[in-house]
Amino acid sequence: MKFEPVELSAAERQLQTEVIEFLDAELPRGSYTPGLGMSAANDVEFSKKLGARGWLGMSLPREYGGQARTAVDRFIVVEQLLRRGAPVGHHWVADRQSGPVIARFGTEEQKHRFLPAISSGEIGFCIGMSEPDSGSDLASLSMRATRDGDGWVLDGTKIWTTNAHHLQYCIALARTTPRDELTDKRQGMTQFIVDLTSPGLTITPIPFIDGTADFCEVVYDHVFVPDSMVLGEVGHGWAQNTSELAYERGGPDRWLSSYLVVEELLRRESAADRQGDDELLDLLGALVPMYWVLHHLSLSVARTIDQGGAPAVESSLVKEMGTRFEQDVVSAVLAYVDEAPNTGDQSLFGVILMNAALTQPSFTVRGGTNEVLKSVASKGLRPTGGER
Amino acid sequence: MSADPLLVETIERLLGDLVTPDLIEHAETTGWSGTTWDALAGAGFPWVGIDESAGGSGGTEFDLAAILAAVGRFAAPVPMAETAMIGGWLLAQAGLELPTGPVSALDGLAEIRGGRLVIDGTAAWGRHADRIVVASGSTVFAIEPGLVEIGPGANIAGEPRDRITADLAVDDVPHAVITGVAAPFDAPFDAQVAARTRGALSRVVMAAGALGAVSQMTIDYAHARHQFGKPIATFQAVQSHLVTAAQCAVAAQMAADVAVRALAGGGTGAVGFEVAAARVVVDGAITIGTRAAHQAHGAMGVTREYPLHQLTRRLWSWRHEWGTTKQWRRAAGACVVERGADGLFPLISA
Repeated sequence: MKFEPVELSAAERQLQTEVIEFLDAELPRGSYTPGLGMSAANDVEFSKKLGARGWLGMSLPREYGGQARTAVDRFIVVEQLLRRGAPVGHHWVADRQSGPVIARFGTEEQKHRFLPAISSGEIGFCIGMSEPDSGSDLASLSMRATRDGDGWVLDGTKIWTTNAHHLQYCIALARTTPRDELTDKRQGMTQFIVDLTSPGLTITPIPFIDGTADFCEVVYDHVFVPDSMVLGEVGHGWAQNTSELAYERGGPDRWLSSYLVVEELLRRESAADRQGDDELLDLLGALVPMYWVLHHLSLSVARTIDQGGAPAVESSLVKEMGTRFEQDVVSAVLAYVDEAPNTGDQSLFGVILMNAALTQPSFTVRGGTNEVLKSVASKGLRPTGGER
Repeated sequence: MSADPLLVETIERLLGDLVTPDLIEHAETTGWSGTTWDALAGAGFPWVGIDESAGGSGGTEFDLAAILAAVGRFAAPVPMAETAMIGGWLLAQAGLELPTGPVSALDGLAEIRGGRLVIDGTAAWGRHADRIVVASGSTVFAIEPGLVEIGPGANIAGEPRDRITADLAVDDVPHAVITGVAAPFDAPFDAQVAARTRGALSRVVMAAGALGAVSQMTIDYAHARHQFGKPIATFQAVQSHLVTAAQCAVAAQMAADVAVRALAGGGTGAVGFEVAAARVVVDGAITIGTRAAHQAHGAMGVTREYPLHQLTRRLWSWRHEWGTTKQWRRAAGACVVERGADGLFPLISA
């Protein structure tokens, strides 16, 4: 396992300053309703502004509209966006994982078609993995892809597809070889780039616990996908998909979801002249050091990626720890304020706390449950000598 | 920005060969391990991080931290932190002579009143020290143990933690004022604050080393121990403990590394906050990590013959030394409040 503290270079510090200055001007406090980390609002115009600054698709090759920058550079940008609850919903998945996966496995045509549009913030992607009967056990998925002329016909149902009703494309995983013809059920899967306006798709929002509707059920009824939209190799979807998961873990999105609850609490208590109270010092003294260490752990994962490492275990450890902490923050602040969240409190603190109190169970579930993460991480904890 | 690899290899080999469970047990009974001290002193390790011009062995804060981490990892029963990181450093800053033997440092009250120095506190291995170093304001005293009242005591790891009391004429004790500011501490320089900060950081670094060893020992045990016909490491409930202990170990290590960097004047974080934050992180990691490790070990972990306790008892002790969890949590909280809401994220991401 490798976790080394990162020293940001002068150029990286400069990028951090530029992002802060941009966001101070673009999103002054009070001018928007902050979201909770990556579940923040969709705002195509805001995403396009980030794209214009070169802050989307940062790691993508220049020839496809990217910036050929590092994971640390992306970390710096994303950390500042998340900690303000900036509206990242439109570009979030495309920037974090769809772009890198297309860059890695896509055809020239796919790269030219999608990567510049991801980098400019014009198009957004969503993830078509989970099914009603296939969650953490991805090998059990049952969506069928049947050969038909110059393409494939997809039938089945995907679920928890965040923003499918707002976005333009989805990378869906489907079986191209029936399970009973395989000895290994992880084989015979293929990734497809699906245009979300395709005939045969029915997208139905699923009301979330707070009454919003960001994630969807997507029913595929004879949806035709041309061969040109097969991503990577037919039958290699499992491996491609697993590599995609690495982009999902260990980033600042896994410990910053409830950050603004703390910042706004501190602002509220300072305004009420309670900043010297021992109880507040104890609360902040317990929570802020955890943010500090998670920042350094998570930044270290990004640097390891830039150095060519594959920190799968490290990122699983950080994600599991970070998401639990996001929940601990909400519990601790609720215990501190000692008052019931109420919709009548329309202060920024009140609104964010209500949102966090309602949605915090999702923190340790989305992107793979903590139980599954522990399983993944424990496989990397090798006994002395290496044998298992 | 890291320790000399040769130094790390040397101390790990030395302690790995020397510090056996029996040696530790013996030291806990007698209060001293001359074998360990002599081996370390022979190689100059207790004075690493102190300038050669002041009688030290030279080397960086990173070298010093690597030595303390090894002391933690192997549960070496010697006053390395007191000699190198706290007491010896204070003597060197003040221009006082470094003794040839072990040094202790007072963790507690030290006041100068009307020409007298009044002290009441704890000194690790105080009864075995050549000098007990006491900081009061910006003045450093080098006290011979014969001049003070020593009430023998030990922490729950059997490491001597002696109560030291005295009321001495200032002029009867060698002392010197530290003039100027020793980086990276704030002006006006307060030797007592610096001693406490360095003391707390010594415990952070040692605890990170020990937690790493606890995590690995737990992984090894869970792969070796079979129940229901298979290694217990294959059970999800046990895997969960292994992951928890590993998370605590990596969080503690990162906290230690970043805080040491701040002490060395690197990074952009303030040393006061970073040491306080590291203490808070490590204290939490000790609570949760040792619990998970013991649970995964079952009854074997709570026997005297299996070595887990030699690490966990030290962890449970060190977290109360050079400031309690509560004091450091409040100190971290005070840093946060001082910077206010707009300064919060810069503090986290410094």
